Amino acid sequence: MTEKRKYICWFYSVPGMGSRTMDKLFARCPDAEEAFCAGESLWRQVLTARQTEQLRSFAKCISPDELWGRIKDNNTRFVMRTDEAYPGRLRNIPDPPYALFVKGELPVQGRLSVAVVGARDCSEYGRYVAEGIGRAMGECGVQVISGMARGIDGISQNAVLEAGGRSFGVLGCGVDVCYPSSNRPLYEKLCEQGGVLSTHPPGTEPRPQHFPPRNRIVSGLADALIVVEAREKSGTLITVDMALEQGKEVYVVPGRVTDRLSDGCNRLIKQGAGVFLSPEDFLRELREGWQCGRGKAAQGGSLTAPEGLSGRLAQLAPEYRKVYEALDFAPLSVEQIRRRLEGEYSGPGLLAMLMSLCVERLAVQKSPGHFCLSGDVQ
Amino acid sequence: MFCKILSGGIAGVSACFVWVEVDMDRGLPCFSMVGSLGSGVRESRERVSVALKNTGFAMPAARVTVNLAPADVRKEGTAFDLPIAIGILQAMSYFPGTAAENILFLGELGLNGELKKVHGVLPIVQAAAAGGVRQCIVPEANAGEGAVIPGIAVRGASSISQVLDFLQQGSGEEQERILPRTVTDAEKLLKTQERCEEDFEQVNGQELAKRAAEIAAAGFHNLLMTGPPGAGKSMIARRIPGILPPLTVKESLEVTGIYSVAGLLEGGQALVTARPFQNPHHTVSRSALVGGHAQPKPGLISLSHRGILFMDELPEFGKAVIDSMRQPLEEHRVRIARAGGNVTYPADFMLVCAMNPCPCGYFPDRNRCRCSETQIQRYKSRVSGPIVDRIDLWVELQAVELSRLQGACREESSGLIRRRVEGARARQQERFAQTGYRFNADIRAEDMERFCPLGAGERRVMDQIYRSLQLGARAYHRVLKVARTIADLAGEESIREEHLLEASAYRPGEV
Repeated sequence: MTEKRKYICWFYSVPGMGSRTMDKLFARCPDAEEAFCAGESLWRQVLTARQTEQLRSFAKCISPDELWGRIKDNNTRFVMRTDEAYPGRLRNIPDPPYALFVKGELPVQGRLSVAVVGARDCSEYGRYVAEGIGRAMGECGVQVISGMARGIDGISQNAVLEAGGRSFGVLGCGVDVCYPSSNRPLYEKLCEQGGVLSTHPPGTEPRPQHFPPRNRIVSGLADALIVVEAREKSGTLITVDMALEQGKEVYVVPGRVTDRLSDGCNRLIKQGAGVFLSPEDFLRELREGWQCGRGKAAQGGSLTAPEGLSGRLAQLAPEYRKVYEALDFAPLSVEQIRRRLEGEYSGPGLLAMLMSLCVERLAVQKSPGHFCLSGDVQ
Repeated sequence: MFCKILSGGIAGVSACFVWVEVDMDRGLPCFSMVGSLGSGVRESRERVSVALKNTGFAMPAARVTVNLAPADVRKEGTAFDLPIAIGILQAMSYFPGTAAENILFLGELGLNGELKKVHGVLPIVQAAAAGGVRQCIVPEANAGEGAVIPGIAVRGASSISQVLDFLQQGSGEEQERILPRTVTDAEKLLKTQERCEEDFEQVNGQELAKRAAEIAAAGFHNLLMTGPPGAGKSMIARRIPGILPPLTVKESLEVTGIYSVAGLLEGGQALVTARPFQNPHHTVSRSALVGGHAQPKPGLISLSHRGILFMDELPEFGKAVIDSMRQPLEEHRVRIARAGGNVTYPADFMLVCAMNPCPCGYFPDRNRCRCSETQIQRYKSRVSGPIVDRIDLWVELQAVELSRLQGACREESSGLIRRRVEGARARQQERFAQTGYRFNADIRAEDMERFCPLGAGERRVMDQIYRSLQLGARAYHRVLKVARTIADLAGEESIREEHLLEASAYRPGEV
């Protein structure tokens, strides 16, 4: 059987080989090894000239044995649609991928699984919410699927893992490639506390055209999708379309109408998407029929004030507390912050107080003169 | 008949004596000049002979040889015209042989015999005074410049015949009548200089940027301003010279020397009395900025010595151009090596830069700014790391609000700010009395403990700042230096927590 997989894996690794082409080829010649050995004469009968050309040049490049060896060296699994291990949720979406390359685990079928997606250049508000969701899901034992991208994706996945939960990253490159490289620590944690998976063979570099199909798998592996921040025209909305096509629930984190980073979210709400209010509220609606942990933590909680934070705030001196309360998730200039405060504050004095909040990690200095609340309240 | 006349030449911003030796002998009439002459000096032959003719002294029908000694040093410029002419006149015995002794001559001749302005008079007169020369005769336009130097009589002449008259007189009184000694009182000149019209009073709002400018001026820190177009970055930069303490006589002499060598003193100007402010366009070439040319000339960084070099739109400057400032920023001087020789120019300037926060200019307003983090990083990285390391203060300006423009709120005047800056400077002077330092910005890492000691509480705060803001070693020292200046401005002996916290705010920020 392994012998056969080796050849299937080889065919699947050829650039441009989709599941339909694979099906067509193996319908004609069910034995993959034979299909490989028969060579061009067979390929030309079933496939287009271009595909044949691709196969021929790939055959020159690497043999099935070499490829298989490389995959094994990488600790990567090759999971086919026909395998037991293949995620059941994916099997049910239209045109499921023929096979997956997996490093680590795959999402478990019996557990609730949620995709969290959003903008890469997110705001501190997005960071705060994504972190809150990730933490709550991790504590409740909900699996979180995302794309391991910069911004919302990575932040939520990191929070899940921090909370001891399980998360899965669907990549637009080979599973041995860490993109973006700044997410290297997350990538390594994912391999241990969850998994990374891809439809691309190991070694594939990330390309723009890989990402939209990847989004299909992100939503396909989840039971529900949460959109945290999205602009009016955003790649995140592709994931939403896919999720709806696959019949998944879509929840959206509302934003202010003045925030361009929330325009996409607010429009989705107008079109009838579910509104995400708090992890507790979200899980209550979803959890029926799902096994989850028990106890208070499993309720999900709210996003308003994590327990650690209120304790730290209580320790603040009253005037610092006032400055803290004048801050927002949107970056404000020192001048704007001063206007929100009552009483006389000198510029340099206020600056020193703000820096003190930054040192306490309650605020973030976004640029030399702009401050906002820290979304990172761990 | 042989004679020699004293003159001087320039190497970098320092000067050396040049002896003009003239020999007149029988033989086929000819006029030849030797001694490593640049083209300007070679042309002097024509100017001198025509000027002498037009003044009424035809060149004799003799073999005239002129040597500029030391002959192995390259001579440039036009200032040797006068000493050559005087040498020929002496060789022709128009005045007693001892009359020109111990006098240094400088000046360019016009064809009608008038004397014209030359470069580098100040350093040469300075060297002459140091070398024991008692008198200098220079063109009238340069007399004020030379007269700044004490201990030497500088006389400004307008034509060669006037100089000859002078040399022909036997008595000192008569000489004094013909070419009176020029007197310049440097102290008085510096005191009476008019303050620039650009005043901080005219800048509405932008309190933090003004504060940063004040700190920068007090500790001579380099400053970078970011902010949307039109926020007033160059407006503030132009006003920084006005809050720096006035030039001292010593500083003014240094600056005047550089401007003199570069030929940038106006006719009759004795001293540079205002702090230099240079504002190069971003297409500036490397050699124009740091100095260079086949025959080295001071660049803009040297022309900003003791003053301000303002680089607007910093990322638009060539990377090589920006990088070339690294060594001068570190050493406060620049060494230029060319085929023509090595020279060192002073370059102790305060770097003030301005740039947009991102390619579109609106970051961190995420509603208007669509630049991705990568784009912003790339934009920022155009300003190379080593230069960023030398910039102690980063500050951001806000777009000006209408109410502020119309508002009648009184803003602080430059005079008030300057007084505080001078106070902080005095404190630094006291602190650095027995050391080579001048300003807080210069403190090196190894002396940090000595000049920026922290109490136990402050040390704890600094540890926290270091950890939570993820500072590097250099950034850590930058914060300390700036905090030292803030404490000096506040008149505090020791650095306090709020000084450290405020200092830590002047940094690039997180994207």
